[in-house]
Formats: sequence, C-alpha cells, structure tokens
Amino acid sequence: MMIQDFAAFSAVREAGLAKLLPSKPRIAVGMGTCGSGNGAEAVYHAFASEIDARGLAVQLVPVGCFGFCAEEPLVSVWVPGRPLLMLHRVQPNHVDEILNGLGNGRMPPAEIVLCKIEEWDHLTGHVKYGLGYPDVPSWNEIPFFNGQVKIVLRNCGLINPDDIEEYIAIGGYQALYKVLIDQNPAAVIEQIKAAKLRGRGGAGFMTGTKWEFLAKAPGPEKYLICNADEGDPGAYMNRNEIEGDPHALIEGMAIAGYVTGTARGIIYVRAEYPLAVMRIERAIEQARAYGMLGENVLGRGFSFDLETVEGAGAFVCGEETALIASLEGQAGRPRTRPPFPAQKGLYGKPTNINNVETWYNVAPIVSKGPAWFTETGSAKSAGTKVFSLVGKVHSTGLVEMPLGTPLAKFIYDIGEGGTNGRDIKAVQTGGPSGGCIPADMFDTPVDYETLAQLGSIMGSGGMVVMDEDNCMVDVARYFIEFTHSESCGKCVPCRVGLDKALKILNGFTTGTATREDIDAVDELSRMIRDTSLCQLGMSAPNPVLTSLRHFRHEFEDHILAKRCRAGVCEDLALSPCENSCPLHMNIPRFLQLYKEQRVEDAFLSVILDNPLPASTGRVCQHPCDDRCRRAGIDAPVNARDVHRLIADEILLTEKFEPMIQKVIERQQPTTDHQVAVVGAGPTGLACAYYLALLGHSVTVFESRPQAGGMLRYALPEYRLPKKVLDKEIELIERLGVKFQFNVSVGDGVSLNDLANQFDSVFLAIGTWKEGWVYLPGTELTGVMPALPFLEGVARNDKVPVGKNVVVIGGGNAAIDSARTARRLGADVTIVYRRERKDMPAIPEEIEAAEHEGAKVVYLAAPHRIVGDKNGKVRALEAVRTKLGEFDSSGRRRPVPTDEVIRIDCDTVILAVGEKVDPDFCKASGLKVKEDGTIEVDRYSLETSRDRFYAGGDLITGASNVSNAMGIGKKAARNIDKRLMGLERVANLIPDFEYEMETPEEPGESPRHVPGEMPASQRVLSYAEVSLGLTAVAAREETFRCLRCDIRSVER
Amino acid sequence: MTEKVKVRIDGEVIAATAGQTILEVARANDKYIPALCYMEGLSAVGACRLCMVEVAGVARLLPACTTPVQEGLSVNTTSPQLHSYRKIALELLLVERNHTCAVCVSSGHCELQSLAQEHGVTHVRYPYNYPKLGVDTTHPRYVLDHNRCILCSRCVRTCAEIEGAHVWDVAGRGIQSRLVSELQRPWGEATSCTSCGKCVQACPTGAMAEKGWGVEEMTKRRTVVSRLSSMREGM
Repeated sequence: MMIQDFAAFSAVREAGLAKLLPSKPRIAVGMGTCGSGNGAEAVYHAFASEIDARGLAVQLVPVGCFGFCAEEPLVSVWVPGRPLLMLHRVQPNHVDEILNGLGNGRMPPAEIVLCKIEEWDHLTGHVKYGLGYPDVPSWNEIPFFNGQVKIVLRNCGLINPDDIEEYIAIGGYQALYKVLIDQNPAAVIEQIKAAKLRGRGGAGFMTGTKWEFLAKAPGPEKYLICNADEGDPGAYMNRNEIEGDPHALIEGMAIAGYVTGTARGIIYVRAEYPLAVMRIERAIEQARAYGMLGENVLGRGFSFDLETVEGAGAFVCGEETALIASLEGQAGRPRTRPPFPAQKGLYGKPTNINNVETWYNVAPIVSKGPAWFTETGSAKSAGTKVFSLVGKVHSTGLVEMPLGTPLAKFIYDIGEGGTNGRDIKAVQTGGPSGGCIPADMFDTPVDYETLAQLGSIMGSGGMVVMDEDNCMVDVARYFIEFTHSESCGKCVPCRVGLDKALKILNGFTTGTATREDIDAVDELSRMIRDTSLCQLGMSAPNPVLTSLRHFRHEFEDHILAKRCRAGVCEDLALSPCENSCPLHMNIPRFLQLYKEQRVEDAFLSVILDNPLPASTGRVCQHPCDDRCRRAGIDAPVNARDVHRLIADEILLTEKFEPMIQKVIERQQPTTDHQVAVVGAGPTGLACAYYLALLGHSVTVFESRPQAGGMLRYALPEYRLPKKVLDKEIELIERLGVKFQFNVSVGDGVSLNDLANQFDSVFLAIGTWKEGWVYLPGTELTGVMPALPFLEGVARNDKVPVGKNVVVIGGGNAAIDSARTARRLGADVTIVYRRERKDMPAIPEEIEAAEHEGAKVVYLAAPHRIVGDKNGKVRALEAVRTKLGEFDSSGRRRPVPTDEVIRIDCDTVILAVGEKVDPDFCKASGLKVKEDGTIEVDRYSLETSRDRFYAGGDLITGASNVSNAMGIGKKAARNIDKRLMGLERVANLIPDFEYEMETPEEPGESPRHVPGEMPASQRVLSYAEVSLGLTAVAAREETFRCLRCDIRSVER
Repeated sequence: MTEKVKVRIDGEVIAATAGQTILEVARANDKYIPALCYMEGLSAVGACRLCMVEVAGVARLLPACTTPVQEGLSVNTTSPQLHSYRKIALELLLVERNHTCAVCVSSGHCELQSLAQEHGVTHVRYPYNYPKLGVDTTHPRYVLDHNRCILCSRCVRTCAEIEGAHVWDVAGRGIQSRLVSELQRPWGEATSCTSCGKCVQACPTGAMAEKGWGVEEMTKRRTVVSRLSSMREGM
C-alpha cells in the first residue's frame, strides 16, 4: 500500500499498532542468528503447530535478538493489559506450559522467566504494555541490562523485522516524513553536527561534517554507502542490528539521501550474513511498496532507492577505498587518500560511507533533537555504542552503553565477571586491530580518545574478555596471524612486515626467540603502524604493541624461563597440570606409574619432583585442579590425594628404608661446593634437597629447634600430622644435608660469615611477623595474632583462649586458627570484610570449619574491640560493609555502611596477613623493597649481593607451601647452574618407561575424594581429619587422567 | 589547476603548482626522496612506502608520491626515524623473495640494490622467506623471474596506462601476492601482449629482463615511459 499522504501514513500506523498490541496474546520468538543457533527455529515451530492444533487466538511473530545472547532462545510473551514477559533458554518442551498459562493466567516455569517490560521507549514512539507480575524483575533490574541505554537497539527484539507496519507503529519513518515536509536539508545536517554523532565504524569522524562534504559536492550522481562488512572475529553487532531492525537503517539512509541530494544508496553486506541479507532485502522491497523508497518518496517528490551488494568476505573490504574498489568489480585493495571518497568515490563520483550503526542513530536525532542525544555519552563522544561482549565473561551478548562508560562496568557489572570464577586478565577492544587493556586499567572510560591513548581502538565495538587461561603472547600472535592472512599485499610494511612479525612471534610461543627479538618485533610493529597504506596495516600491530606495553613480562617469561603461565603455548608445557604446579611435578607420569602398579617407581617420580610429597599432598592449594581438562567431562583428577597416598605408602611403611637408597642412587657425584641455606621452611628444605642431590655440601641454618617452618609451627596437627613431616625431613637429612638449629641470622651467624664460609647463600626466611591492624582495643588482654597462637598450640604450650573467640581475616591462617580454637573448646566466629568467594583460604577448609561449628560473618569490617574495666576483651564491634566498585583485583571493594554489629567475645585472633621481618638484612648489601620483601632477579633469584639468592615468602610476601617450594627448587637449579656452568636438574630423573596411550573415549566417572572423620569427633582431638584415599580409590583415580602429556595420537 | 603555491622542502622555499605531489615537486627541484613503486608518467599508488616524509603539523607520516602540495606545506625528507623505517622496508623486500645479486642480470643497474647500498643495508635482521617461485620463460624475447619481483606494479601500470593492453596484474593477497599475465596464462601465451617490452624497461629489478643478457648486463631505458606518457597527454 503506497503511502502518499498523512492520512494513509496514520492508517498504516494504526494497523501496525494493532499487530504490536493486539487484542489477543502475542508471542515473539527471538530469531536472530544467535537465537536460531540455539534452537529458536524449533521453538517457533513448536509454538506454531501447537497454536494451530489447539486453535488458539494467539499472535506468533519472529523478532530479532534482544541482546542477551548467552540466554538464547529468548521469547517474549504478552497478554493484553500485562507487562511483556521476557523468557530465556526456552526449549520446545516449554511450549505446552507457556500456552497453558495464557489461558489460566499462570506464569511460565520460574527457571525460564528472565524479566518483564512494562513500557518501552522506542524513542520515535512509546509503547505501554501494562502493569503486573510484581515478583518478576524489570528488564533493567537484571545485571546484564542494568545501565544499558538502548538507542541503536531501540527496536531490536521487540518488533517484527519483516513487517514494515510494526516499524511504522512505533514511530518509524516519521523522522523521514518530517525531514521531507520541512524541506530544510542544511538544518538537518546542522542537527547531526550539533548531536556530535561520530562514525561508529571505529575512526570516529564527525558524521555531520561528512554529510556536509557530500551535500556540497557537485551532483547529480552521488552515492551513499552503508558499510555492513563486519569482519572482526568476535564482533556481530551490525548483523544483529540489521536482523532485528532493518527499517531503521533504511530510514537513516533515506534521510541522508534527502539532505545530501543523493538518489542512490548501496548496502555492502557480508555474504556470510545470509539472514541479515534476507531481512534487509525484504525490508527494502516493503519500503518500496509503502512508498518509503523509490520515485516520489511519501508523495514529497524526492527519489531515493537502495540496493544491497554482498561482499565476498575479505576483511580489508571494510576499509572504505577497498570497499569502493570491490563495488566497482575490482580487486578489494585500498588506495591512498586523497582523493577522499567525498571527492572521488564510487565510479569516481562523490560518495559517503557510514557504518551500519551510525545510520541507526539518525532517526532518533531528527525526532528528538541533538540536545537530547548529547545528554548521553561523554563530552567528546555523544550517544551510545553497541559492543559485543564476548570471551571469558559470564554473561555474553550485545551491550549498548553510553560512550565514556568505564570498562569495569562492562566486564564486572554487565558481564558479571569471569567464567567459573576465573580472574580476568585483560580485554581486547576493537577487533583484530585493537589493543589489549590490562585489568588494572579497567577504570578506563570507553571512548574514541581514551582508547587511542592506551594504544587500542574502539573499532566497530568488539570486546573480547580474556582471563588467566589466555596467553597474551599467543593472543598477539593470533591477531597478527589474522591480519597477516587478510593483508591485501599492496604495500610493503603490511605484506612483508606482518609476515615477519608473525614469524618472530611464533618464536616466542615456542620459546626459541631471544631478548633481541622483543626489540625487533617492537621496532617492526612501529614501522608497520607508521608507514602502512591503509587502516588495516596501520592498526594491525596494535595487539603486539599493547601486549608488549602491558604484558612484557609474559614475553620475557616465554623466552627467558621457557614458561607460558597460561599453559596455552604447548611447546612450553608438558600438560596443563604440570604447567600450573609450582613444583612442575610430572603429574601424568606418576599417575600412570601408579596405574601400572609400580608404587616404587611412582614414589621415585614424585619424590624427585617434590621433596615433601606427603605434606603437600595434604595442604597444597592444588592449582592443578583448576587446570585439569578432565573438568570439561566431569571433575578434575584428584592428583594431590594420589601423590599423598603414594608418599604415605612409602614413607610410613617398611618400604621407606630401601627407597632412601634408591633416591641416594640418583645423587650426582660429590662436588667441592659449599652452600648455606638460611631457613628450614618448605623453601629452604626444597632448595637444600635439590642441592644435596646435585652433589653439593649443604648446611641449613634454622632459628627454631626443628625443621619444617610453617609446616611444623603454623599448620595444625589435624591437617598435617608431624610424623609425616618428620619422615620427609629424615630423607633430606639422609642425603647429607646438615642442619644447625637455634641459630638465627644476625644473631648467631652474620651474613658476612656466611659469605666467607660458603660459595653461595640462599636466604629463605619466611614471613613470621604478624600483620597488625590498628584498631582501638588491640592492646586489650585476649587479643592475639594468629601465628603465635598456632605456633603455641603446635608446641603444646598453654595458650590462653577463652570461651568465645572471634577470628578476623579470610586466609588459611584465619581458618586454621578458627578450627584450632574449636578444638580448644571455644565458640568461634570468623569475621571477614568481603564475600565468601573472595576468601583466599582453600574452599574445602572453609567448608570444614563450618562443619565443625565455626560461624562466619561476611561483609563486616572490624571497627573496635571493646574491653571491660580489667582491660580484658568483651566484644568486637564491626561495621557492616556493602560491595562497592570493582578494584584492580577484580573484586568489589567493601564499602562501610552505618550498621554496626556487636559480637560478644573474650578472645580476638588477628589473621590479617603475615609480613617479612627485614631487620636482619640491614647494612648487608641486600636491597629491600618497600613492602619489606627482598629484591631479586625474577629469573635467577639472585639478590643485589653477589652469590646471595633469596626465595620463598621473603621475596613474594606471605604465600603458600607449594609456591614457596617451587621457588626453592628454582633457586637450587640456578645456584647449581652458576656453580657448575650447566643445567643439571633434569639429570636427576631416571628414564621411566611407561605406557604412552591416551584412554579410549573416556566416559563419566566421578572424582574420588578421601573420607573424613565426622565433624563431631573432629573437634574433640587433633587427629588428622582427612583419611586419605584408599589404594583402590587412588588407582581408580589414575584411570581418570586424560594424558594431556601425549601430543600426537595415531589411531 | 595552475595555481602557484610556495612550499618548503627541508627548509628550502620552493615554488610549485597546486595539485603536484610532494615527490614531483621534490624531483623537479633536485631534492631526493627515495621511491620504488613511483615512476614518472604512471599513476602513483603509494605501495612501497619508501617515500614517506614528515609534514609539519601532521602527526603521521605521509607518502610523498600521492600527497598533493598546498600553500605553506613544509616537508622533511630525512630524519633518523624515516631512515630507520626505509631501511626496514628495504630489508623486508630483500627477505621476501630470493634476491641474489651475484647471479642477477640487473646487478649494478638495480634500483633495489642501489637503494639498499644507499641506506647502508649491509645485512638483513629478519629471516629469509626462501619461497619456491618459478621463472616464466615462455615469451620469445623476455623473461619474468618471480624470485626478483618486488610487486611494485610498475609493469602493471605501464602496460595498462601506456600501452593500453593490461596484460599484467597482481593475483592473490598478502604474502601470497603474485604478478600474473592475463588470467594466469604464461606470458608467451598471453594474447593481449603486444610484445612492446615497455614493462621490461619499467621494472626496477631483474624480475623482468630481455633474454640473452648475462649477469650485470641488463640495463633499462626508463625515460621511454615518461616520453610516451607526455606524448599521449599532448595528443
């Protein structure tokens, strides 16, 4: 029906409204590519056939995507007079229940109800759906939508994209009509300029200015082009915009056509977007039929028509001059500018190119005015931008936010943080030519200028989130590989430069690159950026340059330590578990040896990788669990408990003595080097063990009467029975390590003495100085730090603990203190200022503490300790906190509220972190950092004093047993390398021959977990809580290993 | 457009005609800016990026061969950065294919070789690609050696713009780009080729040569193209 006057326009509008808000229920299925990919087609057909079969009066329509792609298929259900109800993850089996509910007013199943929309501002029109459903959150109350401002996506997911009447019903084409009636093109251009609308394709050029160039260019032959050649990996906003609301694009282009005096427009869209192509072509046909396109648009004597051209998929064709070349039938290669397309564009005629999203902003600006538009966004970048938030983030989808919104808002609020609680490391904005921004810079506002300052770009709006499992070197390499293969080959820097940059980066991922290569790739990247012909080449090095700027240490790790922390670069890791283990234990090997029932070999494999396998088997933080690929099938392999059992089977039995001989057999010939180790904690023990195995003469100095450090004096007996530790230390002694107890450095022996008597000195003094929070009342009797408390209990001293104990803190020391206090018969409350998931303690330990009756108060910060008149503790007052902004660690910062809680108690244990006591190294030539830790070279562990090395908590601050031992092992390797001039640690490991076969199609099998003493009995004694795996369970567990250490499989 | 403008090149004030490119003005006034893909008489494509110069007031570098002059434009043709970038570009060209001067007909008369000498490229810092490339000897009088081609496209433009035959073009993309005659037909079988040999004269390296010459023997007559070009424009 051709609309030629206002009466006809109004009539169509009424007809459209009757479809949008019919007198019967309306069900709309989100059928964008994302919806269809998740089964929306099946849902739609299920609705259609069921409605048909039941003869229901229900209107069923397809719509585009409402933006929450992670929750597709989205279905909206509207009953006249009620709010629009948005359902998520709808499957065909829900159809029955949803349709039943329409009749009797019952809600669909709660698990598929997402949110409701009571009214919706389409900007060009307003729709009131109705009120009700008090229990259902409004759309912008759920985290994913909270804060989103839908200007570009104003209609997506709500109207039927295949029906022009619905678009007209919500005020569509009114802006075009208004412009045609006003007949003042210059005023419209002024409006667009005043609105500060900038190109959404990435470059951010002022759209109004571009239009003005075209309007002033001589006619009559001119062209408007819509760039819908969206080719960035991970970006799909343009696709969804066209799929959900094609008419808004047509209207924007038609308005530009009128005001710039252009009669022809071309939409250059990727052929890989078949649904978008189909919808836009259908929309163009309808627009012609209704008089919005063609001769005499809306009866106002203006002619404008559109056609679509499908691009063949070259990334470079998103560059405007290459796009024009492609439209002209030439090879898609860019050319230099000037001349600019506004002067000489398509077929040499004046041409204006805008990105899809830019066109979507035109109609609202014309209807609501520039002042309304500039209310949103930042001073220089007005309006919103649609981002596709993808990658390692919990909630993915299309996010439309005001320009200038900080990155943290996108990632932590909208995206709800990392997947599976992983720490987020960086975000990559702007597609393959963008840059990587590290997590500690997430307060960066997202706008054109700020991103450019950080070396990244807005691009078309891709936002790829990366977590600790992403290797930044590999990310840089991947994007260079992409741009390298998409380079057109015309200019030298891009064609050959990217090829060379890729080859150098490949060297990093295999660990073969050198330090010089870092500078080489940096210089080459700058050259490519500064001299390439088009934007593809100019921006292609961005991922490399930003990664080098923000993640240089990862590049260095790859080549200097041959280490890829994320475990992505396969040449640098044996398996994900080995790579995550601070001691780099060959986990698949000992699992396989145990599987082959070779317990002695398994023990030898374990003990040569880790000198304290029974202790770590009990208390390790087991990072291997987090990386185990088995988690993708059912649950991670319990490697920690298997090596505990292997160790127990030898250490605690008569097999111990013969095994000691086997370990001694591996010892290298005696050297004449003397090494001193200061500190007999896990770090010092590990270092001493390996140095002794390597044939050196080792003396360990320890200020306490026994070896073991924190393992002995801080870890409670119920977690680590000391008889186990004793056996491990006995083995180390049998290798010839000499111990001197009750000697502390500075006191009994000076650093200079050590320097004179030994060839090398390794310092591994732990963190024995208890951190202290200065609260009013810490001077009261009954307040004590956690470490002396735990140490006192471990020594069987009489520790003065009352009946009601409050523990402040959330680390392992806090949990250990709480559980120990329970065993002393006290009622225990743990007070922690953040949430449970933020607690640094091992989750199983927290759970065990709760089982044993410890109460935990989260989100409360101690405020003061109240005493009685005798100077004794009476109560703890804490301020309730609420979660505020995200800090640089990706956790929400606790913000105090007005609410104060009071917990009556007679003892307060402070477990707020331990510190290094650096007093001993005064005037010793050792550089001490501000936090009290000792400065060392990251790779060699050498201190500022020659032949002095340092490790463990002394360089990292309070950490955990395995990390500490890992550093001790590394120190031994470096000390030996310096003394002997070659790398020898690998010689210690014998050739174990074992089966190298991956398991056949693994089926589901549950993880074996050790049995535990019942909680009620546990609190009565210090007996070990964990009973360990049985030999049968441990062997079964080994069958669960997927053998990631095997690289090629021939089948 | 015959509007006269004044520009500065390396500090010297020079009179020029609006619409001329920086490179044209520089060459007309004996100011040297290196270039490989530029050739007088052909359209400029800005592909080799050796002629990048600094323009006062413009943050990024601009190619002299395609940037038109304006009144008051001030150009720097050399700087340590430009030198280092030009050197990298030359090294990249040298490692991309198999340039072995010692066995090349054009050695001693090769533009790539003399630019490398001029910029002090004594060695290359990047690994060689060593691609396996063929030699097209099918034409009775000329030979095309892909090992020596730098994809400057001077032959392409000479053939299309001067001879009007458009025998040559570049196929493929990125590092896989290759010069092709007709639709990948061997040169000798290309029916559109008039055997005029102008492409051979335009080639800056030994990639295109007349048959029958030995090492160092192939010299090229470049002026023929600009003469033909001005004759055509005069017509």
